Amino acid sequence: MKTFILILFLILSINIRPQDNQFNFNSPDNIRRFADFLFCDRDYLRAALEYERILGISGDDTLRFKIGLSYSCTGKYDYAIKNFSGINYTSFYYDNSKLEILKSNFLMNNFAGLRTYYRNTFLKKVKNFREEGKKLFNFSYLFTDEPLPEEDEFLSPFEMNEREQLTAFYNWKNDPPYKSGAIAGIMSAVIPGSGKMYAGEVSDGIVALLVTGVAAFFAYDNFRAGHTTRAWIFTGLTAFFYGGNVYGSVAAAQVHNAKIKFEYNESVKQYLEENNYYSPEYDFCSEND
Amino acid sequence: MKTINILVLIFLFSTAAFTQSSFDDQFKLAQKLYSEEQYFDAVTEAKRLLFFEESGKYYFDAYNLIARSYKQGAKFSDAIRYFTLAEMNSHSSEELYRSRIEIIRVNILRRTTSRAFKLLDSLQADKRFNNKNNELTYWRGWAYIFADEWDKASSEFAKIDSRQELSSLAKNVDNKLYSVSFAKTISYFIPGAGQIYTGEYISGLLSLGWNVLWGYLTIKAFVGERIFDGVVITNFLWLRFYRGNLQNAENFAIEKNIIISNKALRYLQNEYEGLKP
Amino acid sequence: MIKAVYIFIFINLLAGIAFPQTDWVKWGKADIKYEKPDNFRHRDYSFESENVSGLVVKSAANAYWYFFSELDGDNCPFRPSCSAFFVEASKETNIVQGALMFFDRFTRDFNLYKRYKRYPRVKDGHYYDPVAMYKLDKNEINYIPPGVVVNK
Repeated sequence: MKTFILILFLILSINIRPQDNQFNFNSPDNIRRFADFLFCDRDYLRAALEYERILGISGDDTLRFKIGLSYSCTGKYDYAIKNFSGINYTSFYYDNSKLEILKSNFLMNNFAGLRTYYRNTFLKKVKNFREEGKKLFNFSYLFTDEPLPEEDEFLSPFEMNEREQLTAFYNWKNDPPYKSGAIAGIMSAVIPGSGKMYAGEVSDGIVALLVTGVAAFFAYDNFRAGHTTRAWIFTGLTAFFYGGNVYGSVAAAQVHNAKIKFEYNESVKQYLEENNYYSPEYDFCSEND
Repeated sequence: MKTINILVLIFLFSTAAFTQSSFDDQFKLAQKLYSEEQYFDAVTEAKRLLFFEESGKYYFDAYNLIARSYKQGAKFSDAIRYFTLAEMNSHSSEELYRSRIEIIRVNILRRTTSRAFKLLDSLQADKRFNNKNNELTYWRGWAYIFADEWDKASSEFAKIDSRQELSSLAKNVDNKLYSVSFAKTISYFIPGAGQIYTGEYISGLLSLGWNVLWGYLTIKAFVGERIFDGVVITNFLWLRFYRGNLQNAENFAIEKNIIISNKALRYLQNEYEGLKP
Repeated sequence: MIKAVYIFIFINLLAGIAFPQTDWVKWGKADIKYEKPDNFRHRDYSFESENVSGLVVKSAANAYWYFFSELDGDNCPFRPSCSAFFVEASKETNIVQGALMFFDRFTRDFNLYKRYKRYPRVKDGHYYDPVAMYKLDKNEINYIPPGVVVNK
């Protein structure tokens, strides 16, 4: 009898256990636990891919929001926007997702898209983060060539402590300290090198003046000494150095303008980065979570 | 009472065995992905195993698999990071040794050979691995190859009976290499000589021609007491071409050496059948 | 001995701190080469230009390269080199504008003052100064700050 029970139990355990006790790595719950781990380990692409596996099964909006954040962190902003857009009106993260869409557009340098989205969707549907959205909207004007809003309007969403910096950004954009290529060219036509100095390249200006001057002197000196061939060679060289310098001064002004515009854009971007693009910090990875 | 004990025991064993088998299956899945060259996914599945398996039984193998995947993707820093984690989770000195050798191989492959040498030194100084001398010498030889010291590579391989083929290959490369300092030195005395030594005959002759011409004109100017012309020709022409001659002698030797060693490296990568980094 | 082992482990772990970013893009098998890269400059002596002035400029440049430039050492701090700059500028604009651009570049070549604060660099350490910056077309100017190493 005992032996019989034993054998029965053994058979039963073999037959039943595989279903009961096989560890299922791919159950929705385990996929989610693993994805949460990857997300907090900043392994964002893998996290997004794992979350996507269970999106159809337990399609709650937190999942979708975390997929959006994961893609945003890896720089795949179009994927991020697609996921943020799918978040339901009733979701806790609805307003956050709309703000994240603005941020993603910003990071893609899609400023026109950002503004259209702000006007047509954000303003109409979002209750929280309206100030933050407005800030990003206003910032977008600092990166395009479209006419700026009025200064008061531009500054309105910003706190007092931000306004000094924002005014400086605004004023720069309103009237950038660009150098005129025409003035640079004319200056160098009158005094070789002076246009380069005007465009901010002082040492280039001095060198240009010296080189043109020395070539001209050699031409003059050779004419005086009667070495006509040499004299004409130096005359030609002088002409090319002179012409090249006038041309180069116009180019230098353009390069200077590109440089200061680049530096301006960088400082605005850095300011935004320090403020995390006015997006809140999400606490998905704290110990209590 | 006794029967119940036995039953409970069987029950527990069967549970453990089946759970274990699903972990085994998961590891096999990661291995399968690795063998199918789907390295990114292999890393994912190995990480999944590591996340759920808490006993530590698979740590060494899973970290190793992740490291090997990163190595295949040329993500060498990550590979080393995971081989190090494998080493920290090794169950025996043999496993520790194997991970360390893997780290050495990655360091050879990415040409951070000074690190490889340090690790080889540390293994060689470790009494536990006294019986591994041949293998350590073998990898030292490879490290010398990637450090571009073919003569030393040759003498390392010569210490192992079964590796004489590699020793003579390295020796052969070393014999063919041009001496960079010799090329430069002879060009100091006879402009163009270094270039001719490296087989760049036309360049060498042109260099010689220019240097003779500018030298002649310089001397002629000074003899004719045209000091200004003499200084200008010396400074802007003769010295310029003389310096160019030295640079060319050096660069040609270096470049030819790269061609020679690359030919051997291509052979080692594609034709040589022994273990490689 | 043990201490040394832990230092190795520590260094190896440190090396992978930026780790997750490796996997922010899906990667596959890499083509790992044992060969060493040959970073020496190999000039392009080919004639591609279809018009006569382009052909003349390129012939002159080729002759200059073969008989002078290859022999007088590495004197140009920029990439493209002054002569290559001339060839490219003439090809992309016209021979007159190309000549003006060349003389401007040549003048800047004389200026040794704080170049490192003005130009980005290419891998081998030369300053990167492309033709597009000086064609007087604002849209073609792509400003790269100094200190950046350009992959050209």
